Amino acid sequence: MAEYQYIGKSIPRTHETDKVTGRAIYIDDLKLPGMLYGKILYSSYAHARIKRIDTTRAKKLPGVRAVLTGFDIPDVRVGFIKDQTVLKRDVVRQFRDEVAAVAATSPEIAREALDLIEVEYEELPGLFDPFEAMQEGAPLVHELDARGRPLRTNILPLPWKFSAGDIEEGRRQSAYTVKDRVATTWVNQCCMGTSGCVADFDANNNLILYNQTNVIFGAKQRITDYFSKIGLKGKKIRVKNVVVGGSFGTKLDTDIYEFICLQLALKTKKPVKILFTREEEFKALPPRQPAIFNIEQGCDKEGRLTFRHAEAVLDNGAYTSWGVTTPSVMMTPMSSLYRVPNVFFKAVCVYTNNIYCQAMRGYGTPQATFAVETSMDRLAEEAGFDPAEFRMINRNKAGDITPMKLKITSCGLQECIEAVKEKLQWDEKKGQQKDRGVGMASLIHVAGGARVYKSDGHGIRIKVDEDGSVDVISGGTDQGQGSFTVLAQIIAESMGFTPDDVSFTIGDTSLGLWDAGTHASRHTFVAGNACILAAEKVRRQILEMSAELMPRIIQFGLKRRSRKDKDFQTPDLDLSLLSDPENLDIKKRMVYLKSDPDNPHYQVDVTQVLRQGLHVGTGESKTVMAEVFYDPPTQMLDREFKGNYSMTYAFGTTGAEVEVDRGTGQVKILKLVAAHDVGQSINPTLIKGQIYGAAYTGVGYALTEEIKVQKGKVMNPNFRDYQILTARDRIPVEAVLVEKGDEDGPYGAKGIGEPGLVPTAPAIANAIYDAIGVRINELPITPERVLDAIKAKEGDEAC
Amino acid sequence: MIDYEYLKPASLDEVFDLMKKHGSKAELVAGGTDVMVFIKQGNHSPEVLISLRGLTDLCYIQKNSAYHIGALATHRMLEQSQLVKEELTALQQGSSQVGSIQVRNMGTLGGNICNAAPSADTAAPLLVLDAVAVLQSPEGQRRVPIEEFFIGPSETVKKNDEVLVEIEIPSEMGRFKTAYCKHARRQAMTLPIIGVSVGILLEKDVIADARIALTVAAPTPIRVRQAEDFLKGKPFEEGVLKEAGEIASSPECCMPRDSLRCEGWYREEMVRILIPRVAMAAVEE
Ligand SMILES: Cc1cc2nc3c(=O)[nH]c(=O)nc-3n(C[C@H](O)[C@H](O)[C@H](O)COP(=O)(O)OP(=O)(O)OC[C@H]3O[C@@H](n4cnc5c(N)ncnc54)[C@H](O)[C@@H]3O)c2cc1C
Repeated sequence: MAEYQYIGKSIPRTHETDKVTGRAIYIDDLKLPGMLYGKILYSSYAHARIKRIDTTRAKKLPGVRAVLTGFDIPDVRVGFIKDQTVLKRDVVRQFRDEVAAVAATSPEIAREALDLIEVEYEELPGLFDPFEAMQEGAPLVHELDARGRPLRTNILPLPWKFSAGDIEEGRRQSAYTVKDRVATTWVNQCCMGTSGCVADFDANNNLILYNQTNVIFGAKQRITDYFSKIGLKGKKIRVKNVVVGGSFGTKLDTDIYEFICLQLALKTKKPVKILFTREEEFKALPPRQPAIFNIEQGCDKEGRLTFRHAEAVLDNGAYTSWGVTTPSVMMTPMSSLYRVPNVFFKAVCVYTNNIYCQAMRGYGTPQATFAVETSMDRLAEEAGFDPAEFRMINRNKAGDITPMKLKITSCGLQECIEAVKEKLQWDEKKGQQKDRGVGMASLIHVAGGARVYKSDGHGIRIKVDEDGSVDVISGGTDQGQGSFTVLAQIIAESMGFTPDDVSFTIGDTSLGLWDAGTHASRHTFVAGNACILAAEKVRRQILEMSAELMPRIIQFGLKRRSRKDKDFQTPDLDLSLLSDPENLDIKKRMVYLKSDPDNPHYQVDVTQVLRQGLHVGTGESKTVMAEVFYDPPTQMLDREFKGNYSMTYAFGTTGAEVEVDRGTGQVKILKLVAAHDVGQSINPTLIKGQIYGAAYTGVGYALTEEIKVQKGKVMNPNFRDYQILTARDRIPVEAVLVEKGDEDGPYGAKGIGEPGLVPTAPAIANAIYDAIGVRINELPITPERVLDAIKAKEGDEAC
Repeated sequence: MIDYEYLKPASLDEVFDLMKKHGSKAELVAGGTDVMVFIKQGNHSPEVLISLRGLTDLCYIQKNSAYHIGALATHRMLEQSQLVKEELTALQQGSSQVGSIQVRNMGTLGGNICNAAPSADTAAPLLVLDAVAVLQSPEGQRRVPIEEFFIGPSETVKKNDEVLVEIEIPSEMGRFKTAYCKHARRQAMTLPIIGVSVGILLEKDVIADARIALTVAAPTPIRVRQAEDFLKGKPFEEGVLKEAGEIASSPECCMPRDSLRCEGWYREEMVRILIPRVAMAAVEE
């Protein structure tokens, strides 16, 4: 393997000192002159007709600058399939429906004004169960579609159906089959920074929107679309990130509060800020969607999978965000986690009067992987194989083309399974029961971009000043993962500079070139490749300049030295060697001769070259800069949802050792091993940070986290009752990095943003089974559910 | 809008004067970790907050003929007191599991008791330790056994003109082995699903005396006398302790309800399971 200067080194993150010292500007900190504060009034019912809204009293409150209802703004539809309006004026379909909004001189006044808005409702019956909602004759959540045509069903018109091979043939070949129903529930992304934005129009109604999106150009497109419908066509739109306190899916789509903020700013002709409280974050932000799966799998006598058949029902809630595309991503594990020739998967998303859902880290794959991997364990048992061995038999391998037509170019799944086995002492511990158990689960995820839009590209602009400082403008964003430290390492490595030389300007649609978004675990891969290409270009320019200037610089230096030092022996140099850029390279900011790399006389500091090369004189001066747009050569999924939509795929295996308290039903995690095929780690500390954080979220998903929704209402909108794990819970996570390199990745790297979360819950569920012999098919696996299952089993055995 | 006057008197007499002056418009505040949350949630809207934080002489932990703990002693003080740890173990365990270090630095024992949440982490230990609440008003002092102190969720016998000044624990309680178990879904920043405290006085291997108290098992923290009586005079053995758990979890003794945080059947089951465990832990300490 090549010797790297910076790749694979745990270089400290660059901007974090500002965060820990409180200097970083989050939305909460951002204040513009004259800025007003917006607040939103939500529905009091899960489903009701609005009979009357009276804002008179609110408008009279001193400090209130605007009160808006659906009657004050154009009744324009927004959202992924345009199934809602910004402010609802006829019918509310969920508790979070935005009914009115206020802008005032302080958040407190805005809050108080909300209490003065009178809304009279006529309550309508609600639909809170997707299965009821699917039934024929069920009342409709939406009576009309976006174009005003009548709807006949609550099932969304989305074609989530995947089929490959022949399921019946698969069944015939099966010696063993298992069939199960598993269920997952709503969970919140729990970003440390709550949602918010500041909308600022100039006198001509050109907009700067300061927000937290991780898809700045997507946000711009959505606002452009909205503007064209509200009479602002052609106005300039600039989307600009502030420092973001986490996104985990919440900032993928443009949320309704952002449109409301725009309207308040237009109305008042002042900048307006909306910032969510934690309670709003739980009640008015779309969470991960619950999914219920019926899954069936079979294998032959040798343990080879013969088929996988799964059907899912997703509670969509009352409206549709980008997150409704999660079933298309569920297809990846459904079709391609392990080698399975015959696959059928179908998902329906159903309108209900529950809170509507969206993206969250893993994008549907945590739900789907919970179904696949708990089923794998059952099938292994049915067929008489050790679960690890069973997974080894069916593991993916480099060179495979999966039923979804994913091209597996590199695959460390075998190493991941082996690492988990070794670290957990699997063979000794497996099957011992005695209330302790081990379990594992694996994952597949896109790790080389994801062509969900026509362009999966990323643009990089780079310039080098005469002092050797390197400024890079990226259209990407940072939601806290530290990717710009990683990209600085990549640029430094490729240019022969140091990471300290590199500064990034990010998250601004006016400066950056297009980027598909910092999502789908794609940033290091796609932006990294763009950085390498751009760095190559500027390196080449510097080397060409060096070839011109170095002989002169060196000669001059030698002369000066011999003048000063009578004893100096002028070395015998062939300076003509330096005149060919091919003979030169840069390392740690020194240009050197490749054929004699250690000879100090053939070296020149790069700033010397830049100073003399850039500012030359009339008509001769230059600049060092490059612009690169990298779009990976991948395919859009076809009508059958097949195609190689990522350049490479991540694999990983999580192993859990648990102890179950039979008296209380509590599950203690003794050890969690998360082995991930990362290709090549650019920055091990940051990669491990991603893995630890994701694993923690995965443990919460497995054991404690749940938005409790009763008749459409979020009952636990706070961190007291929504239980994420705390530092005190000390889950011992060990991250194992499998680094075999990926031929298309930047320095061999693959994406790792989401994977750590994905297999955690099924690994824990499988470990619980190993410990006490009961399967919990529903997340979260609460002590109540465990105890209930233990009692049911004891009851069965007693009979 | 949230708006109140904040007063910080330096003596108890001044506190009484201010309470008299502002009457029902005023609310006392010690650490504020309950009060401020209620105000922010809009559940309380006092016009005047009378802080007790100027009464620094109510911030003590002492032992002489009895144990005396000032109402303003913080959970953190109790957590870190060697005396409390060794002689009033259950109380140390209760205090040390309140919220987080930040909350324990602010929150007081007096506030925990006066707030009278059915889940208060010091309530079951104080019941087990036969604590007495010392209430003072301009008319003088009165002493209320902690068992009579709580009368409902957020309701106590404390009158509007009274201040809790001290918690007293009889010195003989130091001879009991005590423990507290906060059964919760995570290790910090959480409320108990059920709280169980047990005190055992052993003579040789026989249980000479016993105390069992529960939180979140009824509208107020409760003692389970039937189970205590059952234990008295019995050998300290697992079978006996289990039986006590059965008795305590029976409908005559406790009536845990279904709530958002947990279903009643599970709470009841935990009373049964945890009583023998906590008794064992108390004696093993
Ligand atoms: C994040 C968080 C986590 C928490 N976790 C826990 C937990 O795990 N377990 C737990 O039991 N509690 C918990 N609490 C609640 C709270 O911290 C405790 O109840 C604490 O002991 C309250 O004490 P305080 O001094 O802050 O009370 P305050 O809020 O100041 O007062 C509470 C009430 O008591 C009255 N009061 C206070 N002192 C006196 C006095 N001397 N005389 C008369 N009346 C008085 C006040 O008027 C008020 O009505 C938590 C609170 C927060 C904010």
